[in-house]
Amino acid sequence: MNSRERVDAMLSGQAVDHLPNMPITMMFAADQIGAPYLTYATDYRVLASAQIKTAHQFGIDHVSVISDPAVEASDCGATVQYFPNQPPAIDETKALLGDKKVLNNIARLPGSFGPRMTNRLSGLSELRSQTLGSKYIEGWVEGPCAESADLRGINNLMLDFTDDPAFVRYLFEFVLEMELAFALAQLREGAEIIGIGDAAASLVGPRIYDKFVWSLENRLVDGIHAAGGRVRLHICGNTRRILNGMGRLGCDLVDLDYPAPLSEGRTQMGDQQVLLGNIDPVRVLRDGTPHTVYQAIGECHRQAGERYIVGAGCEVPRDTPHNNLLALAQYAQAH
Amino acid sequence: MEDLKQLYDAIVEGNANKAKSLTTDALAAGMDPQDILNKYMIPAMDEVGRLFEINEYFVPELLISARAMKSALAILKPRLTATGAKPIGKVAIGTVKGDLHDIGKNLVAAMLEGGGFEIIDLGVDVTPEKFVNAVREKGANIIALSALLTTTMPSMKTTVEGLKEAGVRRQVKVIIGGAPVTQKYADEIGADGYSDNASSAVALARRLVNEPK
Repeated sequence: MNSRERVDAMLSGQAVDHLPNMPITMMFAADQIGAPYLTYATDYRVLASAQIKTAHQFGIDHVSVISDPAVEASDCGATVQYFPNQPPAIDETKALLGDKKVLNNIARLPGSFGPRMTNRLSGLSELRSQTLGSKYIEGWVEGPCAESADLRGINNLMLDFTDDPAFVRYLFEFVLEMELAFALAQLREGAEIIGIGDAAASLVGPRIYDKFVWSLENRLVDGIHAAGGRVRLHICGNTRRILNGMGRLGCDLVDLDYPAPLSEGRTQMGDQQVLLGNIDPVRVLRDGTPHTVYQAIGECHRQAGERYIVGAGCEVPRDTPHNNLLALAQYAQAH
Repeated sequence: MEDLKQLYDAIVEGNANKAKSLTTDALAAGMDPQDILNKYMIPAMDEVGRLFEINEYFVPELLISARAMKSALAILKPRLTATGAKPIGKVAIGTVKGDLHDIGKNLVAAMLEGGGFEIIDLGVDVTPEKFVNAVREKGANIIALSALLTTTMPSMKTTVEGLKEAGVRRQVKVIIGGAPVTQKYADEIGADGYSDNASSAVALARRLVNEPK
């Protein structure tokens, strides 16, 4: 099996030669080709080159266009600060929707994308043409809660759930339409799986998640599935109280961050859910040794059971020792 | 005098209007502002912190409770100042240079304020010089540093070094936090404490202000 076949088989419920390995690499990948992160995030050729080199060097079975959460917000007109060698960041003090009325002015045509979203689409085309079916190709969109936070300001959004639920619903609908159109465009450019990053959803707790977030995530997942794509869900942070809802979304792959034990994910999501993760990226992957990384990922595998893909809880930190990251591939290849 | 348990409940439930009117009424009825703060408001935010720690409250609930606390405190503050009451500590808090993420910093600031500390919120992308000035010019005795990114964590070290170079390090306790931050890192850079959540940051700060300098 090549990498692509291995991931496809695992997600299809078929036998694999060994476990797939799909950690998220961004800054770490940029460093492998000596590219400043600004060029990685804004030039698809740099991203593709770094992803392919990193995947080959560290036994990773997929390549991804994930770079930073500001891609869609930037194209909506949000104020984004760019740094030479770290991810672009949204300036919340100048949040695009600090004034809610602005939402009426940023309506955009589904299918029309600005420079950063277009760059991501080009990245997928580049990855597809360079990997020639050898690696599984991953697109990426922000989830409804995360993108709404990016546009409105996360502090504002957290209060809006109580103060102005009608606005939250209106904003979420806008975001869903944009993200679904973006996801479908990525599928057309060659993505086989779409990562949905909905980091802010881990902050809201089960009541608000069920009331506001879940149905929008569900429609995004259904829309991607209807177009023939697969879905990887990643919610940064502590998701222990919303695991059941995450499991009911029907995602092909749920990638848990380290605060939520995979054993709880398995209990809440059932035997058939493919789980990924989830060693602590800093305390274990970066600060550990190859031996402790190998041991820790073995414990994750034990908790998750057979329907499992190797990975860290979140992004691989840029200064992770190479042998520590290689320990993930070594574990995957041995099991 | 009406039982101010209602004020406690209003803060825990995040009802800012009720918290304000109850505080106004209590002052009008001649209640000691320090008693209102110490017996009802701070315990209410301690309860919010407890609920947050056991995953009964989440960020939205914590923020609306903090807003209710802040609203009531704004009414109380002039009277506290008039009586010469002092906060239990003065915290200059900010997200370090190069980092624009502020939700974690805001949660910690809200809980510290609810815990009886005066807060000097320096915002995001804060240079070491600004922290130094907060010590020199505003009398901060705790510096609280936040970072979300592994790439901006070195700014925490730079800030601690900046405090040393400016000769004010011994005047303050330095506490740090943020998703990639660890106790190990706190030890490496010579910080006085590390907390992995907003609620325990209050306990940490309370402990540190009672330690000898």
